[in-house]
Amino acid sequence: MPYHKFKCSECIPEREKHAVVKGPGEDLTSALPLGYLNTIPGSISERGCAYCGAKHVIGTPMKDVIHMSHGPVGCTYDTWQTKRYISDNDNFQLKYTYATDMKEKHIIFGAEKLLKQNIIEAFKAFPDIKRMTLYQTCASALIGDDINAVAAEVMEEMPEVDIFVCNAPGFGGPSQSGGHHKINIAWINQKVGNVEPKITSEYVINYVGEYNIQGDQEVMVDYFRRMGIQVLSTFTGNGSYDDLRAMHRAHLNVLECARSAEYICNELRVRYGTPRLDIDGFGFEALSSSLRKVGLFFGIEDRAQAIIDEETARWKPELDWYKERLKGKKVCLWPGGSKLWHWAHAIHAEMGVEVVSVYTKFGHQGDMEKGIARCEEGALAIDDPNELEALEAMEMLKPDIIFTGKRPGEVAKKLRVPYLNAHAYHNGPYKGFEGWVRFARDIYNGIYSPIHQLSFIDISKDEISTDTKFLTQKMISDVNLSEEVACSKDLREYTGKYETITALRNKTYPDFPAQKKLSVV
Amino acid sequence: MQCEVKNKERAGVINPILTCQPCGAQYASIGIKECIGIVHGGQGCVMFVRLLFSQHFKESFELASSSLHEDGAVFGATHRVEEAVDVLLMRYPHVKVIPIISTCSTEVIGDDIDGVVLKLNNGLLKEKYAGREVHLIPIHSPSFKGSMVSGYDVAVKDIVSHFAKKDKPNGKINLFTGWVNPGDVTAIKHLLSEMQVDATVLFEIESFDSPLMPDGNSVSYGNTTIEDLTETADALGTIALNRYEGGQAAQYLENEFDIPTIIGPTPIGIRNTDIFLQNVKKMTGKPIPASLVRERGIALDALTDLTHMFFADKKVAIYGNADLVIGLAEFCLDLEMKPVLLLLGDDNTSYPDDPRIKALQANVSFQMEVIMNADLWELENRIKNEGLELDLILGHSKGRFISIDYNIPMVRVGFPTYDRAGLHRHPVVGYAGATWLGEEMANTLFTDMEYKKNKEWVLNVW
Amino acid sequence: MEDMMKDRVEQLVDYIMKNCLWQFHSRAWDREKQNEGILTKTMQILCEEPVEKETPMDKVHWVDAVCLADAFKEHYSWLAALDKGEIKLLMQGLKERMDYLTITGSLNAELTDPHY
Repeated sequence: MPYHKFKCSECIPEREKHAVVKGPGEDLTSALPLGYLNTIPGSISERGCAYCGAKHVIGTPMKDVIHMSHGPVGCTYDTWQTKRYISDNDNFQLKYTYATDMKEKHIIFGAEKLLKQNIIEAFKAFPDIKRMTLYQTCASALIGDDINAVAAEVMEEMPEVDIFVCNAPGFGGPSQSGGHHKINIAWINQKVGNVEPKITSEYVINYVGEYNIQGDQEVMVDYFRRMGIQVLSTFTGNGSYDDLRAMHRAHLNVLECARSAEYICNELRVRYGTPRLDIDGFGFEALSSSLRKVGLFFGIEDRAQAIIDEETARWKPELDWYKERLKGKKVCLWPGGSKLWHWAHAIHAEMGVEVVSVYTKFGHQGDMEKGIARCEEGALAIDDPNELEALEAMEMLKPDIIFTGKRPGEVAKKLRVPYLNAHAYHNGPYKGFEGWVRFARDIYNGIYSPIHQLSFIDISKDEISTDTKFLTQKMISDVNLSEEVACSKDLREYTGKYETITALRNKTYPDFPAQKKLSVV
Repeated sequence: MQCEVKNKERAGVINPILTCQPCGAQYASIGIKECIGIVHGGQGCVMFVRLLFSQHFKESFELASSSLHEDGAVFGATHRVEEAVDVLLMRYPHVKVIPIISTCSTEVIGDDIDGVVLKLNNGLLKEKYAGREVHLIPIHSPSFKGSMVSGYDVAVKDIVSHFAKKDKPNGKINLFTGWVNPGDVTAIKHLLSEMQVDATVLFEIESFDSPLMPDGNSVSYGNTTIEDLTETADALGTIALNRYEGGQAAQYLENEFDIPTIIGPTPIGIRNTDIFLQNVKKMTGKPIPASLVRERGIALDALTDLTHMFFADKKVAIYGNADLVIGLAEFCLDLEMKPVLLLLGDDNTSYPDDPRIKALQANVSFQMEVIMNADLWELENRIKNEGLELDLILGHSKGRFISIDYNIPMVRVGFPTYDRAGLHRHPVVGYAGATWLGEEMANTLFTDMEYKKNKEWVLNVW
Repeated sequence: MEDMMKDRVEQLVDYIMKNCLWQFHSRAWDREKQNEGILTKTMQILCEEPVEKETPMDKVHWVDAVCLADAFKEHYSWLAALDKGEIKLLMQGLKERMDYLTITGSLNAELTDPHY
């Protein structure tokens, strides 16, 4: 097994099997790190907790819901305003967060009464909102409050409201992934099947594992609508609580982030016979093939093809402008879970960059299988990386850019490695054809930043050019380009706007007359 | 018409103003050199606090977790603290100080972190790390008590009491800054240096604002040394700028080592800075130099241009850490403004006894509310449903949507201020802080006048 | 001959690994169904044989098979020179290799977890 030994982790032998390099002749049966195991205490891992996986990642993107955490105030505060999952109802779920504010006396005497009072207060404060999710925390789990019973009691007394209970305390699992799992299963067990939707199309899908980061969901839903498809629900970005209770009525589950949401797709398949189609919203090739598959499923592949042709013609020359300038640049692809496989091959094939390393904070071995499968030979794959390993890897690999989270990005900055936010994006959305160009543009701007170049100069030692008073990205990137490519009329820089989502919200869509009568169930 | 002090009436919290105790303990921990704290609890208690610090400072700080998982929550997890200490010491050979910070989960399950520290001191440290200076400091900061403010206060006290040891007088003063920014430390050290006063500043966090260097250094760090902390027992006096952030540690030094102690006032605004300098003078016998008279004059000159023309009668709401809120309110009053709503973000029951709050009650002649245990809904609800009209909000970034949604200009101040660039670099204390705050408020109001076309032409001839 | 077959199987495996996700469902029994369903249908399409696509499960496999067959034809020109028998043999080899890589030889310890 081609394990990679980090010098900094020689003293913790348990780490040995968590990093591999896929060498020549290696495949997944010989190169796969361990994954999703308990974290080594004190290793300064980047992992979060199961509560955040449930509340912060999957729960809160649901837009028309009061998201209340039953516990002390910190869990709530800490997982509030650190994400960019927007919604078309003025970001209600981003703006408001609720804690029952459990104190010492509640720890001793129980906090169920406090919880009930909180629920009533919150509904009173927001009279237009009738849906709520309650999140257990470490404290409320350990004192054994029966949150389900309190929720049932309130629903009995207030028939107009509906409450979902998610029991995923912070300690429940090796990482945030434990919470993804728990909230998936809780949702299908408690809520799916108890609302019957209005069916408006012959083609009905759930869009699953999509969190509307900077508008990703709205970009993808735009394509589906242009194909005449009804997106019954989105799990969960920009998703509506009641729509998600009707997930059982879709014909197809279109799954994006399998890491966080394959559980519910698998259960829907078992319980309701709904097939699961895994797709990629990132990358021209993968996205085209994804749209085509959804089209094929419904026999409307011509509509998919029309979109693919139109979008490719519009955006490909811009993607290729960046590809010419990003060729051979080394990337550390260090996200949380799914982006390592969503992006690994697509950025290599379509932007020309070399993925020298992938890592996953909270992924499982299944994510590493996909990620490593999509990498070229020689890539270093790390499971549950820690601070020192990341530093050692960056020093060894000398990447030109790193895609990771906000805080690790600050670590990279000090090594003079530019970073892009892999979770929240820099200037997203990154999904869709235009989004993919936006991603390429951000990578390009990161790598060829004139200010970044200055950080390599030591004014006390180095010769300082007195002629150069400024540089542009293009002056730096085009130095080694052939005249033909540099001045190509077929290629162009990104021409889109800073903000692209509002226009989608105001769009009208073609009416596709139904072939057969729709059953209103 | 008067100042009314009361508690939030609702039981729960909608949009909290402060986070919980472990965050405060972690903020203290990162101020110490060669120190990495271990938070005993779930991983989120560390990961998100590190994220919060990195949002505020645009820097990364090192903090470790004992990574409490299910088995630990059921059977106890002190062994994970032992492992964490060992792993940390093995991999970070420079580390000398390890605060062990408890959380709600590990307090509820009753993990005995003092016992673990004792065990490690007598076992692992003697056997495996003999000859290495290592300090393990248990800090009890359960999230279900107090807030990040009390967590900071408790941690500073526990850290100081661990190290403070009487030797010979060092002629310095101890200066507890409270929960401030690097810019504040710079401003305070400047004042002390002008007065030629030698001080141990707790904590030395100017180095949080770390550079991007040609050789590539990797992390931001605090710079308070073990020696600094040890010497606190030898000081000629202690000044704690904030009552609720460092006050306990100051009190401890006074009780334990008879060190003369002055707590407060938070030196925000001209008057509070005057008092601070007066206190330093009293404690050290050093005169206030002409240079500071001049500096004060520059600040007064700047503020005089603004007060009755622009600030007079402007209604302000202020939220955040209590010391900061009170200091800002006092400054606003001197600037002729009306701080009509003060939101103190935790349930400290001693707030009503704070002489500064009593002074507000005794002297304010307009309607003013001080809400204890407040959340941001106390502010928003008053604006949205109860007709509160405001000209300005002073507070941290978590309240940004109130400003945005209700079109009320807001000056970011306190912690965290992630939605504005570089604020940690600017002081709010001292004369420099008074000038910066005053001008920031004015410029914010000016921008708002222009944006709303509300007498924007006034500025033509100002 | 055997070497050439092996090399061609590896080319197809490489395409699937880099571009597809269907082979990586989370449990062994699902992977078996996916490999069987999609690769069989891909073979049928390549051999111009009729393909079952009436049930939703068949249809979703067929969808992936259509795209895979097209991609194979586009990327591997040698495919056009094969007769049906050779294609069947090739696809059989591919199926065996995929089963090995993703199921029987897989190091993923979660494949046998009885729950999702």
